[in-house]
Formats: sequence, structure tokens, C-alpha cells
Amino acid sequence: MSWALVVGLAALTYGSRALALVLLPEPGAGLRRALDRMPAPLFAGLAIVSLAGAESGPAPGAVWAAAVGALAASPSRNLLVVLGGGLVGYVVGAWLI
Amino acid sequence: MMAGDRSTIVAMLPVALAIAVFGVVYGVVARSLMGPWLALASSMIVYSGALQFTSVGLATAGAGPAAILLAACGLNMRHVLLGAILRPRVKGGALRRALVAWFLVDESFGLAITSEGDAGRTLVVSGLLAYAAWLAGTALGVLGASADALAGPAEAAFPVLFIGLAAVSSSSGAHALRAVAGAGVTGVVVIAWPAGSGFAPLLGALAASLLGPRR
Repeated sequence: MSWALVVGLAALTYGSRALALVLLPEPGAGLRRALDRMPAPLFAGLAIVSLAGAESGPAPGAVWAAAVGALAASPSRNLLVVLGGGLVGYVVGAWLI
Repeated sequence: MMAGDRSTIVAMLPVALAIAVFGVVYGVVARSLMGPWLALASSMIVYSGALQFTSVGLATAGAGPAAILLAACGLNMRHVLLGAILRPRVKGGALRRALVAWFLVDESFGLAITSEGDAGRTLVVSGLLAYAAWLAGTALGVLGASADALAGPAEAAFPVLFIGLAAVSSSSGAHALRAVAGAGVTGVVVIAWPAGSGFAPLLGALAASLLGPRR
């Protein structure tokens, strides 16, 4: 890894962040409707990747237990309640597994 | 500080702690590969845990700069989608949006998209916390700290946060069903193509967005 490579990675990363947010025009109504549908499945997918798709393999049991606790609390649709559910799940999972 | 900032900070704090723990791990690994200054500089100017861990992994395995940059293009593709989703919600001119863009990471995006206030401000507040945590963690790792004892709880913070954000974004039964569908598609892609984990949530979200009536 060289300084030039790290600077290149930084440029690519910032460029990807700024591309849609700064350079692209505001999406039209149809595209906006489609984009509005994406956050929930995107987050659900990111949860799956952080549970099952890490390069080191599936997450340990206690992490899955935390996810179950979070899922159990998810009908509340309150982020702090879900984080609390995840914490309880993790503690119980770590104790049991 | 505005009223909404406090709730953003409270929601982001446990995640920032988890980010700091992974920063320590990154600092330890990166220092041995690229030296302390470049390791620290990489977190300062790249600010992408997923990409930095991937780059270090590829470099350790003997990959050249071209392969690492190609991997970066793939991993960074999701930022374009996240930016497009946020674009109508971030107010202000190009300069403000250019500043806000620096803080666009998965976690800050999640809080921004679900916030009822100014999405750009939420992105900056939560992104600043994540950035500070990532830098502090990297610095501690470069200095030789160990975060092994905290790695388990830190690993749990990310799926829990994303489940919470999926729940908050599911304002109707149709959104909840799309979340389940997105998770299913992502799971299938991850199992069938483990190397494509970086793309899987994108594919899942795109597929799920097609479900239901067009209007």
C-alpha cells in the first residue's frame, strides 16, 4: 500500500459519495417513488450482510441472538427500543451460548 | 445544538463505540502493512471501514493497486444509490451538499433517511461522530491498543442498528414486506456469491423496490 494508492482510494470514495448528492439533478417523480421504496430493503440487506456475509464467515451465536432481540423489538418502530432489544438479545445469547 | 441533534447523538453513540472498536482492529492490522502514518492517514482521508479492511486484505493477499482500485469501485457503488435516495432530502446549494457528502456512510445515511428534521444536518452530526470514532479507534490501534474483548458486542451493533433502521423506515405493511424481500434476495446473493457481499444489499433493494404497484 502506497500513499498514491490511498489517495486514489480516497478520491474514488469521496467521488462516489458526492456523485448523486452533488452532481446529479434531482430525480423525477417516478424515480423518486422507486428510491423511496429502497431504504427498508436496503437496511434489511445490510443487516443480512453483517450477519452472514462477513469475509470471516457467519457471525457468532450471540450476534445472531442480538439480531433476534432486535427483530422482536422491531414492531415498536423505535430505534432506541430496537437497540435495547438487541442488547438484551446479545446478553442472553452470550449467557446461553 | 438543535433539538434533533440530541436524539441523533443518542441513537448514534452505541454505533460510534462499535465503529471505534473496529477502528482499533484496523489500526493494528494496517500499521503492520503500511506503517503508522499511512495507516492513520488512510482512515483520515478514505473514511470507509468496509473499503479499508478490504484493501488491507487484498494487499496482504498480494493484490496490486489496479485490483484494489477495482474492488473500491465495486464497494463504493452503493454510495451512489444512497446519495440518490438522500438527494431530494438534503437542502442547500452544491457547496453544502459537497460538505454533507463527506459524511455519507451506511450508518449516518440510515439516521438521516429516518430523521424527521433536516436530513443533511442529521448526516453531518451522525457522520461526525462516526468519523471521530473511526479516527480515534485507528489511532489507538496504531499505538498498539487491543480491542479483542469488545469485538463481540461491537460486531452485534451493526446488524441491530440496520434492523432498527429497517423497522423505522417501514412506515407501511408494503415497506415491511419489501424489507423482508430485500433481506431474502440479499441472503440468496450472499450464499450464492460470497465475494459479492458488497453488492448484495443493493441488488436486494433494487429487486424489492420493483414489488407492488408502480403508482
